Amino acid sequence: MNDRKSGAVCLLMCLAAATASAGPREQAKRMHDRLAGVPPSEAVLTSMAADIAANNALAAAETAMQNRAFYDVTLKNFATPWTNRDQTVFAPLNDYSATVIGMVRDDVPFNTALSADLVYISNASGLPAYSAVNNDHYAQAETRGVDLKATLVSRQQSALLGIPAAATAGLMTTRASSEAFFIDGTNRAMFRFTLMNHLCRDLEQVQDTTLPPDRVRQDVSRSPGGDSRVFLNNCIGCHTGMDPMAQAFAYYDFDETQQRLVYTPGTPNAKYFVNADNFKPGYITPDDHWDNYWRKGHNRLLGWGWGTTATSGAGTGAKSLGDELANSEAFATCQVQKVFKAVCFRAPQDNADRAKVASIASIFRSNGYRLKTVFAESAAYCTQEP
Amino acid sequence: MTRNVFMTSRLRTAVMLAALASLAACSGGGAPTEVNPVTTPPPVADYTGPAPANADVQAFRINLWENVKASNRCGGCHNAGGQTPNFARNDDVNLAYQAAVALVDLTQPDQSRLVAKVAGGHNCWLASAAACGDTMTVWIRNWAGSVAGGGKTIQLQEPPIKDVGASKTFPDSSSLYGSTIWPLVRGQGNCLRCHTPASATAQSPYFAASDVDAAYAAARPKINVDAPELSRLVVRLREESHNCWTSSCANDATTMENAVRAFANGIPVTPVDPTLKLSKAITLYDGTVAAGGNRYETAQIALYEFKTGMGTTVYDTSGVEPAANLTMSGSIEWVGGWGLNVKPGGKAQGTTSGSKKLADMVKASGEYSIEAWIAPGNVVQEDAYIVSYSGGTMANNATLSQMAYQYQAATRSSDTDANGAPALLTRAADEDAQASLQHVVLTYDPVNGQRLYVNGAYTGDTDGNGGSLSDWDDSFALVLGNDPSGQRQWAGTMRLVAVHNRALSLSQIQQNFAAGVGERYFMLFNVSQLVNLPKSYVMLEASQYDSYSYLFTKPTFISLDSSVAPAGIPLKGLRIGVNGQEARVGQAYIPLDVTVGGSNYVAGSGQLLSNTGTVIGLEKGPESDLFFLTFEQLGTETRVYPEPPMPVPPALADSSNPELGLRTFDEINQTMSNITGVPITTASVAGTYDLVKQALPSVESIDAFGSSQQMGVAQLAISYCDAMVEDATLRNAFFGGTPDINTQGGRDAMITTIVSKAVGTNLLSQPSDAEVRTELNGLVAKLAGSCGGSCSATRSATIAKASCAAAIGSAAMLLQ
Repeated sequence: MNDRKSGAVCLLMCLAAATASAGPREQAKRMHDRLAGVPPSEAVLTSMAADIAANNALAAAETAMQNRAFYDVTLKNFATPWTNRDQTVFAPLNDYSATVIGMVRDDVPFNTALSADLVYISNASGLPAYSAVNNDHYAQAETRGVDLKATLVSRQQSALLGIPAAATAGLMTTRASSEAFFIDGTNRAMFRFTLMNHLCRDLEQVQDTTLPPDRVRQDVSRSPGGDSRVFLNNCIGCHTGMDPMAQAFAYYDFDETQQRLVYTPGTPNAKYFVNADNFKPGYITPDDHWDNYWRKGHNRLLGWGWGTTATSGAGTGAKSLGDELANSEAFATCQVQKVFKAVCFRAPQDNADRAKVASIASIFRSNGYRLKTVFAESAAYCTQEP
Repeated sequence: MTRNVFMTSRLRTAVMLAALASLAACSGGGAPTEVNPVTTPPPVADYTGPAPANADVQAFRINLWENVKASNRCGGCHNAGGQTPNFARNDDVNLAYQAAVALVDLTQPDQSRLVAKVAGGHNCWLASAAACGDTMTVWIRNWAGSVAGGGKTIQLQEPPIKDVGASKTFPDSSSLYGSTIWPLVRGQGNCLRCHTPASATAQSPYFAASDVDAAYAAARPKINVDAPELSRLVVRLREESHNCWTSSCANDATTMENAVRAFANGIPVTPVDPTLKLSKAITLYDGTVAAGGNRYETAQIALYEFKTGMGTTVYDTSGVEPAANLTMSGSIEWVGGWGLNVKPGGKAQGTTSGSKKLADMVKASGEYSIEAWIAPGNVVQEDAYIVSYSGGTMANNATLSQMAYQYQAATRSSDTDANGAPALLTRAADEDAQASLQHVVLTYDPVNGQRLYVNGAYTGDTDGNGGSLSDWDDSFALVLGNDPSGQRQWAGTMRLVAVHNRALSLSQIQQNFAAGVGERYFMLFNVSQLVNLPKSYVMLEASQYDSYSYLFTKPTFISLDSSVAPAGIPLKGLRIGVNGQEARVGQAYIPLDVTVGGSNYVAGSGQLLSNTGTVIGLEKGPESDLFFLTFEQLGTETRVYPEPPMPVPPALADSSNPELGLRTFDEINQTMSNITGVPITTASVAGTYDLVKQALPSVESIDAFGSSQQMGVAQLAISYCDAMVEDATLRNAFFGGTPDINTQGGRDAMITTIVSKAVGTNLLSQPSDAEVRTELNGLVAKLAGSCGGSCSATRSATIAKASCAAAIGSAAMLLQ
C-alpha cells in the first residue's frame, strides 16, 4: 500500500516538474526516452546534452538510437501492429517485424520495404533455425531476450521461403504477413492492410466511385440485397481501385495445412474465383497483372511515382506493386507520420506539425529513404518543446 | 433490314406490350372501388361433340381449349354462333381447333395472336392483362409440347433513329415534388386513400406517402419530365379513368398534367456536350428482345414471375388451374424489371383453397421442387422463410428458409414431425447464401429426401432417405417471405418462384439456372455516322437489373449490312450516356482499346469488344431513360478526355494534445531492467511481466492512464526490486553493498543510490532530489518503525525492496 501511495504522490509531483523547463540535459533525456524507450546512462546523457547544446540535436538522436532498446523495444513495437489483422502490439516478434528492425539498423532504403528479396533472422546461438512453416525462430529470440541490434543478419527471402526471387515482395511476402493477410478470403486483405499500414489510409478514405469498374471481380454483388444503389454509391468506390491492384497477389496463398506461403506462378488461386455467381459478367482474373487506377481521379493526391519514373502504374506480380506503393508520396509521408506519432506521442496537430512532416518526408526521400533520419528529425523537433 | 443472330432461347412477351396491357387491364371506369372479377372458370357442360380428330386436336383440347371455353373467358363470346373466330366453341372441338390454329404460333407461343389480344387487355379475365398473356402463353406452349421453345433465330431489329437530345433529369431533392405534385395526390386527388403505406387498403406505388422523400422515390417512375402528358399519373386518369376524384376524368387528368408540368418546368434542361462523339440514342425497350434459354416447366404447378408491377395480387401464371394467386400485405413492394421486395412485416400469401392444388398434386407424385430466384436482403437473418407452404410456426408441409449464410429446407413426411424437422441445412462453412441474386432449388423425392441446389450446383448436403408425403395438410397456405403467422420474416428480393410436383434433376435445374430471370434486350447504338459504314452499331445486351439500375454486358460491334467488312477501326474509351449526359458511375468500358475488323469481325455476329458487364444507375425508368454511347476514339473521330485539375487536399482540423506520454509495457519492462540490472529473462520477473503485460500501458497517451495500469507497474517494480535485492551480485552492483536501514547514514546512502539510478539527477524535468528524498525517507521510517533501529536483515531487505519499488514504479520512471 505504502509503495503505491508513494508512487501516486510522485506521479503528481513529476507531472508538475516535467513541464517546468527543458534545457539541453532535459531535452537529451526526453529524446533518449522517446527513441530508446529507456532512460540514458549518465555518460550518454552528458554526450547527448553536449550535442544538443551545440545545436546538433540530430547527432544526439543518432547516439540515442545506438541503444539496443531502440531495436528491441521501440522498433519492435513500432512494427508489430502491422503484422496482424488485429493490429495488436501484443504479438510475438516475427519475420515481418524483424525485417523492419534490420532494415532500419542497416539503413536499407525503406522504399524497398514492399519489394525486396530480404528477410532478417537472428544469428544468436541456440535458436531454432528460420522456418517457412512456423514462427519459432523469432518467438524464442524474443523470449530469450536476444539482442536484435547485435544479432540480426539479412538473408534472401526467396531462399528461406522457397519461392522465386521475382515472387518476393519485401514485408508483404514474409511468413507473418502471409499468415495474417493471405489466409483464406480473397487476398484483398493484403492490399487493404498494406494500404493502412504503409500509406496510412483505409479504403474509405480513398474511395472513388467515378473510376471504371471493369476489373471488379465476380464475387462482388452488384445488387447487394437487391439494391444496386448500395453498389453504385459505396462498394464500387473501393473495388474499382482495390481489385485491379490486388490482382498482383493472384498467385499467392497461405496454406493452412502446411502453415506456409504457397506461390503458384501462372495459376491464379481459387480464392480469386469464389462466389463467381454473384455477378457472372464480373471480372475473371486471368493472371497477376495489376493496374493502379488511382493514378487517375482524386487519388492522384497520393503522389504516385514520387520523384521517380521507375514506376509506371502497371505491372505483374506483388514485387512491382510493392514498388509502386512504396514510391508514392503517401508512403513516405506515412512512414514519417508513424514515426512522428511514435516519438511525439501525437499525430501532427497543426500546420507547423504538418509542414514539419512534409519537410521530413522530403528529407527521407533525398536521404535514401533512411528511416533513422526520420526518427532523428522527429525527435529533434518534438523534444525541443518546453 | 435485319440480321440473324442464332440464339438458343425463346422470345418472351415484349415488355412494352406487357406494360400497355397492364395499363388497359387496370382501368377502373372511375368507380371509387373495383370489384375483383371472378377468375375461376365456371363449370362448362360436359363436352358431347365429336371426338378429337387427331392427337394434335387432342393436345389442343387438353391444354388450351378446356381452359378458354368457359363463359367468363373466351367462351363467353367466341363460342359457336358467337363472335368469330370461334376457337372456344363447345359444340365441336375439331372446328374450334381449326379456328385456333390461325391464332397461335406454336414455335413462338408468346408471339401468338391469342396472347397479344389478352395481354393487350382484350377481355382479360384477371385484373392484370400481363398475367392473362403469360397464362395464355403457357397453355399454348403446353399444346405445342416439345415443338415450341427450342433454339431459334433472333432477328435483330434496326431501332428507330433518335438523336441524343437535351433532357431533364430528376433532381435529387424531393422539394420540387413536395411543392407541385405531392399536394395534389395527398389533397384534392385523394390518392392517399390507397397509395400510402398508412392506408388500410395500401396499394403501391406509395407516391402519396406522408414521407415526401419516400413518396418522391415512388413517384419518379410514374412521371415523364420530358412529356408530362405521357406520365403514368396522367394517363391513368385520362385514358384509364382510374379513380378520378370528380365526375370528369378529363378534367382531373388535366389538373394532374398541370401539376406534373409544373414539376417538369422546375427542372433545368441538361444540354448535350457538343464535343462528345455520340452514337444515336435508344431506350431499353427500343432494343430487340433477347430472351433467355428455355425453362424446364413440364412439372411446374405454380409460377410467380412478379411481372404485374402494380396492385396487391401476385399472379400464378403456371397455367395450371386453379391459379394459386397470392395477396401482398404489409411492407412488400414491386421491383422494377420484375420482382418483389419483401421487407420486415411484408409477405405474399395465398388462400388455403388456392394453395390446395399444391398438396393435391404433390401428394399424387410423392415428390416436389421449390425453385426461387432470390436476393437475400442480408446474411444475418435466421429462421427466415423464403417460401413456405405452412400452417404456422409449428406445422409446415414444405419450407425453404435462410439461416444467415445457410439455406434450410424442411419437408413434412412420414419420417419427420409436423414441422418437417429434422431440417436439412447447408454446411455453414460453404456460406451458400449470399446477399446477391441466387437461384435456389429445393428438391424432394422419397429416395434422396431433400436436396438443395444453389446457382445450378448441388450443395452436397445429404438428408438421407425421404418418406411419404401423404400427410401433407391441404388446409395450409403458400406464403412468400414469411409464414402465415408472420413470425418467420424473410427480407430480400424475389425475382421468380416456381413449384414443381417432381424433383427436378440436376440438368433440369441447370437448364433453369441458365435460362436466367428477367427480360433482356439487344440495344443497338447506331454509329454509322462515326465510322462511315452503313448500318453499323455497337450492340449491348441490356436488362433492368433491379429497381435502381440497368445491366449492360457484351459490347459488340456489328453491321447489319452483311456486305460491310470493317477493317482497322480503332475503338477506345467507350462510355454509356443516359439522358444527355455520360453516366458518372459504372463506366466499365473506359479502358477499352481495341481495333475492330479483320479476323476478329465475323459477319452476322460482329466482334465482341469486352466480356465484362456493368451496372448503370436508373434515372427516369426503362420507358424514358434514353441511352447513347460516346467514344474517346472511333475510327477517325476522337475526343480528348483531359484529367481534371488536381484536387485540393482536404483541410485538416487542428487539435491539441498533451506533450507528455507514458512509457509503454515493453519500455517499462526494459527500463526497470536497466535500472535494477536484473535481466528481463530472469524467471521471476519474466513470470510477473507475462502476468501484467497486458495491464500495462499499451499506448503512450497519458489520457488513457488508469489505476489498473498503476497496479501493474507496481507489481512489476516489486518483482524487479525483489530480484535485485535477493541476488547478492545484483544488490552489490546496485547499492555497492547491503543497505543499512538501522542508521540514518545507511538510509541516506540507499536513497541516494535509488534517486541517482531511478530518477536521475540534475534534471529539471524530473522531481527534485529533496522531494524524492523526503518521500522515500518517510517511507523507510514508517516501514522501520516497528523494528526501531534494530531491524533484522530480512526486514531491512524488505524495506530496501519497498524503497526501490516506490522509485522505479513511480511517475519518475513512467513519464517520458
